[in-house]
Amino acid sequence: MSGAHTKFDLQNRGLLEKMFEPPAVGKMAPVAKIVVYSFLAIWSLFVLFPIYWVIITSFKDAAAVNQGPSYIPFVDFQPTLDAWRINFTADPYCDMAAIARQLYLLAHNSVAFVLSPVVTIPPMEPQICKIYLAFTNSVVISIISTIFCVAVGSMAAYALARIQYRPKFGNIMIFVLLIVGVILATTYAGVPWWMSSAVALALFFFLARALGRHFKMSLGNGDILFWMISQRILPPIVVVVPLYVMFQAVRLLDTHLALILLYAVANLPIVVWLMHDFFANLPIELEESAQLDGATRFGIFWEIVMPLTRPGLAATTLLILVLNWNEYLFAVFLSTVKVQTMPIMVAAKNTGEKGVLWWEMCAVTVVMIIPVIIMAVLLTRFISKGVLLGAVKG
Amino acid sequence: MTDGNTKASVKFDAVQKSFGSVKVLEEFNLEVEPGEFLVLLGASGSGKTTALRILSGLETPSAGRVHIGERDVTEVLPKYRDISMVFQSYALYPHKTVAENIGFPLKVKKLPKAEMDAAILDAAKQVQLEALLDRYPRELSGGQRQRVALARAIIRRPSVFLMDEPLSNLDAKLRGHMRAELKHMQGTLGITTIYVTHDQIEAMTLAHRVAVLEKGVLQQLASPSEIYNNPANLFVAQFIGSPAMNVIHGTLEGASFQTNGVKVKTKVKGQVTKAVAGVRPEDCSVTDPKKGTISGQIYTTELIGDHTLVTVNWGDDQIVVKAHKDFDGKQGDAVGVVLPPENLYIFDETSGERIR
Repeated sequence: MSGAHTKFDLQNRGLLEKMFEPPAVGKMAPVAKIVVYSFLAIWSLFVLFPIYWVIITSFKDAAAVNQGPSYIPFVDFQPTLDAWRINFTADPYCDMAAIARQLYLLAHNSVAFVLSPVVTIPPMEPQICKIYLAFTNSVVISIISTIFCVAVGSMAAYALARIQYRPKFGNIMIFVLLIVGVILATTYAGVPWWMSSAVALALFFFLARALGRHFKMSLGNGDILFWMISQRILPPIVVVVPLYVMFQAVRLLDTHLALILLYAVANLPIVVWLMHDFFANLPIELEESAQLDGATRFGIFWEIVMPLTRPGLAATTLLILVLNWNEYLFAVFLSTVKVQTMPIMVAAKNTGEKGVLWWEMCAVTVVMIIPVIIMAVLLTRFISKGVLLGAVKG
Repeated sequence: MTDGNTKASVKFDAVQKSFGSVKVLEEFNLEVEPGEFLVLLGASGSGKTTALRILSGLETPSAGRVHIGERDVTEVLPKYRDISMVFQSYALYPHKTVAENIGFPLKVKKLPKAEMDAAILDAAKQVQLEALLDRYPRELSGGQRQRVALARAIIRRPSVFLMDEPLSNLDAKLRGHMRAELKHMQGTLGITTIYVTHDQIEAMTLAHRVAVLEKGVLQQLASPSEIYNNPANLFVAQFIGSPAMNVIHGTLEGASFQTNGVKVKTKVKGQVTKAVAGVRPEDCSVTDPKKGTISGQIYTTELIGDHTLVTVNWGDDQIVVKAHKDFDGKQGDAVGVVLPPENLYIFDETSGERIR
């Protein structure tokens, strides 16, 4: 690999790639290597200790936790499976088949929901085995919403990286005013929400066409991008109560759909922002060449752009997956029984009357950590470097 | 292979292009004959690449029309223009093998696999790549990557080839080799080719006709020898030729050019107070200080191999002379330089136009 390649790589790496770049330890002097490796070793201990602590605590009982810190199983304390037994066998129906049953229930209820305008299929009631229910919910909700979010977000990011948009400021103002109108009409005049939305949409297209060309000021792609990321500036707690009211109005409280949609929308700005960086760094000649070779815009996106941004896509997917997996605030507000997720299970171990049941909490936490580690190992295989080598220049 | 309609003519009809307030092309008119190898030559920023991109459809003209053959393609999408382009950076798809890269234009047309494989092999053979079909672009040398880009361009048999400085990323030796190959291939296939370069040697060696561009204006459109022997204006005269044409400022009075107290007879007549005389280094010769048209001191000598370049200080000007390779003058020596009247080009300094 010549120097030119390295230089080209450096200029064309995206934000995440830069962050994950390992230090060039190989090029250092021996003494510096020893210093760096010892520092890294100490640092790994710092990082790994909490995980170790969680794992051993899950094998302690109340007495071992309360008698003060003890570190080494069989020496400091006698390990026990009590915490695991309470979590996984205390409730009725708690066996490995619970996961399969819960997945079947989800499929059944989804079909029932989709077909509800045509035929009425009675939905199945969940079995009360909290940990398996929560685990299945977490898996289903985070994976589906991540796929949805990354698919929509990366297409938006590609469009923003490659197509110049000039929305008129006046049209945006019209849109905002119409939305305010929809809210007022629905809340105070009692107009059904779908009717007012339809009228507003029709009015918007009419007004934008009629008045649009008279507006002078227009925004650019940078403004759109900033507007998107600005949706994440607001602390989520601020929007939780309005969201609760909204989901109540459309009768989606305590449903998987609500959490899937909400997670997808909440993380969309992150996906757009990150993927935009990756797309903007692709040499545009590749796409121009494909265009001349006769490929369609969508063909170029799937055949050329997607394979080349796979490392970025994998990193983004992993990030969103972890964010969804750990999400607590929205889940605790929008779920009551059916769609409780793993973070709620963890928090539930902080009971009012008995205090924090640390040993039980740690057992749930271990279960929660494992899938993330598996996903990370699977996805890092894609986060390889040097995909763009040989694309342009010698 | 799939389209039989090779050899299309190309016509730029009063094409203009501005980016914001910057005018890149002004009233660009150009007609390219079917099967012709036309080189757009100019410095960076002259608008040559913009002209090519307008023809490819990657850029839309601000005004004017573009025709390929009988068709007005001004509003036609790039993929429907039946052209293929070789980019300066080659633009190979790094995640595809050589075969997949070459076959991509056919793949998007959804050609049957067997037909596609035969076409890929055929195109690869034309550029001697058949042994490397399973490699990835990153495993190839610069010259091989260049060939892949060429093969990808020829596999469709387009009606027009566009090349945007395709050789500029290669080292000097390989560039010369690829130049010859390109010319041979164009001669064999007979496809209309428009080639953009800033390298005058590429322009002179490859082109049937050269179009010299500067600041978005076409300066001269002629055969390489015509461009060299009969430059239309001062810009073309100075741009073409290596080392560049010597330029002497003075006045034209009747049939003589006067400067620094020296009078040289000229073929042309006229009365121009601010005139420029141009003379190519190979038309001058060094001689005894007393015998030359002018005399000065040697500034430096450079042995090139088959000749020696002698730079002579004369007043405030420097004159470069192409001398015999055995010329043995030393720095500071007094020499005379012969400026033959028949090889003197006279230009109007204000307009830059040639006085004929």
